[in-house]
Parts: sequence; structure tokens; C-alpha cells
Amino acid sequence: MPGPYPGRVIRVHAQGAIDAQTDAVSRPVVQQMLDAGMQDLTGERRPADAWARFIAPEDVIGIKVNCSGAPQIRSSPEVVSGIVENVMAVGVPASRIYIYERFANQMRSVNYGSYVPAGVNVLAAEGDFARGAVLGYDPYTYVETCFFGEDDTRSNLVRLVSDRFTKIINVPNAKEHQASGITGCLKNIAYGNFSNVARSHQSEKTFTYSFIGTLAAVQPLPSRVVLHIMDSLAGVWHAGPFSRNRRFRFYPKQLCFGTDPVAMDAKLIELIEAQRKLEGAISIFDRSRKHLGNNRDPNFNRFIREPGHVEYASKLGLGIFDSGAISLREIEL
Amino acid sequence: MMLLALALLPGLLWDEPPASVEALREAGITSIYVPAERYKAWKQAGQFAAQTADIRHVVKLPAPAVLYRNNIASATRAPWLVSSGWRFLRNTQGRFLYEAQGTQAALAAAEAFCFGGSALVHTSGDGLKPFAEMIEFLRGLGESDTAPVADIGFIDDGSAIAGEVMNLMVRDNLLFQVVSGTGPPLKLTVRLGSKELPLKDARNPSMAAHEIRAQLTDERRSIRVYGSEVVVARLTALPDGVRVHLLNYAGAERKLDGLRVRVAGRYTKHRLAVAGSPQAELLDYSADSEATEFTLPELKTYAVIDLSR
Repeated sequence: MPGPYPGRVIRVHAQGAIDAQTDAVSRPVVQQMLDAGMQDLTGERRPADAWARFIAPEDVIGIKVNCSGAPQIRSSPEVVSGIVENVMAVGVPASRIYIYERFANQMRSVNYGSYVPAGVNVLAAEGDFARGAVLGYDPYTYVETCFFGEDDTRSNLVRLVSDRFTKIINVPNAKEHQASGITGCLKNIAYGNFSNVARSHQSEKTFTYSFIGTLAAVQPLPSRVVLHIMDSLAGVWHAGPFSRNRRFRFYPKQLCFGTDPVAMDAKLIELIEAQRKLEGAISIFDRSRKHLGNNRDPNFNRFIREPGHVEYASKLGLGIFDSGAISLREIEL
Repeated sequence: MMLLALALLPGLLWDEPPASVEALREAGITSIYVPAERYKAWKQAGQFAAQTADIRHVVKLPAPAVLYRNNIASATRAPWLVSSGWRFLRNTQGRFLYEAQGTQAALAAAEAFCFGGSALVHTSGDGLKPFAEMIEFLRGLGESDTAPVADIGFIDDGSAIAGEVMNLMVRDNLLFQVVSGTGPPLKLTVRLGSKELPLKDARNPSMAAHEIRAQLTDERRSIRVYGSEVVVARLTALPDGVRVHLLNYAGAERKLDGLRVRVAGRYTKHRLAVAGSPQAELLDYSADSEATEFTLPELKTYAVIDLSR
């Protein structure tokens, strides 16, 4: 990261991609969106050539989904299965493709296995172990820091990332986040690939400002994440990363493509802010203590949000935050 | 009469009549301590090794446990451990008595052994088998009264606040021993009311424990535990190394899937014993010039790892 296309974001919109009443996703429309986005990102005329820019037949592919808001909102199985199909078309066998997350219960609620060819691996780092189990993490690759006096000061990298995957495709959602302001590419890479990260929030204080970028910059993670496809068919504009209250869900009907997670998240901030403005809610950059409280009201939040984590990550070399240097291309299908 | 201070293994205090002997045998109990008023009956029955227990001056202890307190607002999400480790460290000559039912009887026995305390465990029928199995495990470990390894010397003024600070140090895996201030120096010596730890700060024992940790620094700690908030670790010295004790206060019903442990110093050899998991092997073992690390794949109640050079 930020890969071969720093500062470049491709946004593909298709009105027929998702039914906002039923949440039904059109697999054929999603496939068209994937083709259009990948071709435009790479300049290749054939989708297969576009995917081959990032993936070789000998690769072991991790597809990092986001299920923290599942089952209401998650990396859509239709998008994920479309990615799997394209990866297999490059020549990667099903047995070397892994759809993964940290928590098994969240993965089970989506049931990706029923959407992809037999042999594709669907698993969680903490697997069938008890929540918080360390066995699925690399004991030698960790960030050690103490936030609130906790005794367990390590956050370890998912073992599959360091031991098995050669490439990772990141598939986040477009969501506001109560602590970090938004959760997009960076947070899905960081908090989604390390253990023991919830410790960074306590009371209204969160250390997401620096922790997200710090984790995302830990090798081999940034060198293995080669592509980001943000599933913004549906999104969450408040009380994320969950979507228990349908009132806070919205439907951008977009997929976004890029290799630069900072640039993509910078555009996500704009998307979330625009929706919140439309809904009459305060900005995610608001830091007033008078807005701390029960977040059933969109003008209240449990934490002082830290959307500045995106700009901070740019200072770690993970991508471009300067809006003048970001190239956004919008495609309408 | 039982000499509690010399006991190597915790004893079972059983106040049922001799008619209960079959329950003891079925559980695998081989000896018991009985209240003085029951002793005569047990002796006359002549079927079981019974001794009288002098419980007049014992310190009563709660059963070790974890209180998750999910429904209580708190400044911390850390679960509350009911641990008596600090009581053993404060009162090394003390005599203790647990009230522990079911599997907590095993945890109580393990806690007393881990901290080198002299204790009886009073339990009911459902605690017999877990207790007996733990005693069998402890017996297999051999000598238990090796010297503790401590990073911190704590000058105990006997106050309730000092007791709670010690309790929190145990729970935070800060290795300490109570000192008078005249012995050989440890890495850090602490006294409540000193310039470094004023009494006004110590009135919040949690903050005091954090301050002690900050003064020691994590880098100088002899042991660190990663992957659980409910495991207490302790170190004791061996002739050519150290013995690591790991106690899961959640007990066997909530076993831990994996625990990473870091011990200061280079130890290339190890011997593992895990209660209830006889086939367990350490994973990802590494030893460099500064520290030895390993992953324990499973911890039900109690594990002991002997590390040597």
C-alpha cells in the first residue's frame, strides 16, 4: 500500500445493484460493476487482464471481508463471490482462496460458503475457539502498547496473513464508526487483522486516531494487501459499525476500487458526512462533550470520534489524503 | 492435629459423618481433616485416614472465581477476580480455610498450592472429585515450596489499602514479596506513603498498582501473560531455572484456548504439566538472550511449566 495507483479512486454506481426495500443484491449487476471498476482502475480492456495485474495463478489469496455489522450489513456475498470468480479466472484454484474475518459467529451469520464454489476456504481467525483466543494469531508479529492500563498489551497479526497468504483483497463496507468516525479500508485492514484491539476504546476516549494506521503499517500486511474493493451498496451513517437500527442505513449503490486505502477512506468520509448532513446530524468531526450520550439520537455518540485516523495513516506512507491529489472517477452503469 | 504451616498439599475439610465414606472413596479422596467433634466417630469407624483440623484461628477465604459483572457500570471492562493470592503472600505463616463448591474446590486447591499457602478446602459432595483430581495433579508436580521470584519488594503497613494494592498487584501479574526494607534489594521497593507513592494516591488502590507497574516498567517484569484477563501467573525458583504457575480463575468450565507467556531470561528446556490436559505441548517456543516465550494451547484450571537452561 498504497500500491500502483496512489490517490486514485474509482466509484461505480448502479441503480439496480441493490433493492433498498428488501436488501436483495443483483449478482449480474454486481459483476458488471466489478468489471467496470477493475477495467477503469487498471486501464485494461479485458477484466481478466485487470485482475491479472494484481494476482498470479500461484498466489494464495485472502479476501478480508467485514462482518462486524452482520447479518444486517456485511461485505455482500454477491460481491465476494464475484471477486472469487474473477480470482479463479486468473487461475488461482479454489483451495488457495480464503474468505476470512476474525470472529466465527459473525461469519456464520453470512454463510459465504453457500455463494462460492466448493473448495473455497471460509474461516475466522478465532475459529471455533472461545472469543479472544490467541491461537489464530502470529505470536511473533504484534504491536505492543498500553492504552488504559490493561495488562495484555499486545495485538497480534492474524497468523494466516503472515504464514499463508501471498496477496490480500480488502472488501470493507462504507460505515460510520462510533469510535473511529468511519470504518472503511484502513480499519478493516487494521482492526480486522489484529487481535485484542477493542481495548483501544474506553468510556468516551478512543485511541483509534493513531492505532489504526500503526496496525495497518505493520509488515507484511501493507505489502500483501494489493487491492481494495469497498462494498458501498448499502452503508451505515450512524451508530456503526453495527446496523441494528435500520433508520441509520442508507444505500449509495456503489462499489469503489483502488489500491490506496487512504484516498478511498478520504472519499468515504465525504460520503458519510454528506449523508449525515442530509439527515440533519452533526459532523463526525464534532468533538463537543455535549454530544456524548446515547446514540439512538444521531446527534449523540458514545465516543469522541477520531476520523483524523485517515489523515494520520497518510503520514505513515499508507496513501494520499490531500484532496487536491486524489483523483476520483465516477462511473454510472 | 494438623500442622497447617508444614503442609505441602491443601487438605480436605470434611464435616460429614463416617457414613459418607463411600462418596469419598468414589471421588478418589484418600485422606481428610474433620472437625474435632467428628474425629471420634471417624476413628471408631476405622475405615479412612482422618485427622482433626484445628480451625480456630484460620483465615476464611472465598472460593476463587471470576465475576464478570456485565450488568454493572464500571470504569473498566476487566473482569473482577476473586483471588486470595495476596493473603498468602502477606501472611506466609497463616492458616487458611476455603469454602468452595463444585469445581471451585479444585481451583481453591490450586490457588493455595500456587501461592505456597497452607490451606484446607471445605466442600460438599460435588466438589470431591474435582478436588481429588487436582490433588493428584499437584502431587505429581513434586516439591512446591521453592522460593518465589519477585520483582517488587512491598513494605506492608498492614493496612486495608495496602492489602488491596497487593491484591491488585497479584491480579495484574506484578510479582512482589512482602519485605521489611532491610533485605537484598529487588528491582523496585515500594512503600505506601513514600515520596514515590504518596498516601493520597494510594487511596485508589487500582491507581497505586498502575503506578507501581509504571515505576517498574513492563520491560523489567519477570513474567508477562498475553491472551487473558483472568489468568494469574506466578514464578518460583528452581535449581537451574524457574517454575511458571498459571492459574485460570474462570476454571475448567471456561477453559482458555491459548495463552502467550513471556518469561525474562533464556531457558532452552521446558517441562509442562497441565491439569486435565495431559497430552498438551507448548507451541511457538522461543528463547533468546532476553526472554523465553511460549504459547500454552489450552488452560483449564492450572498449569505448571518448569523452565531450565
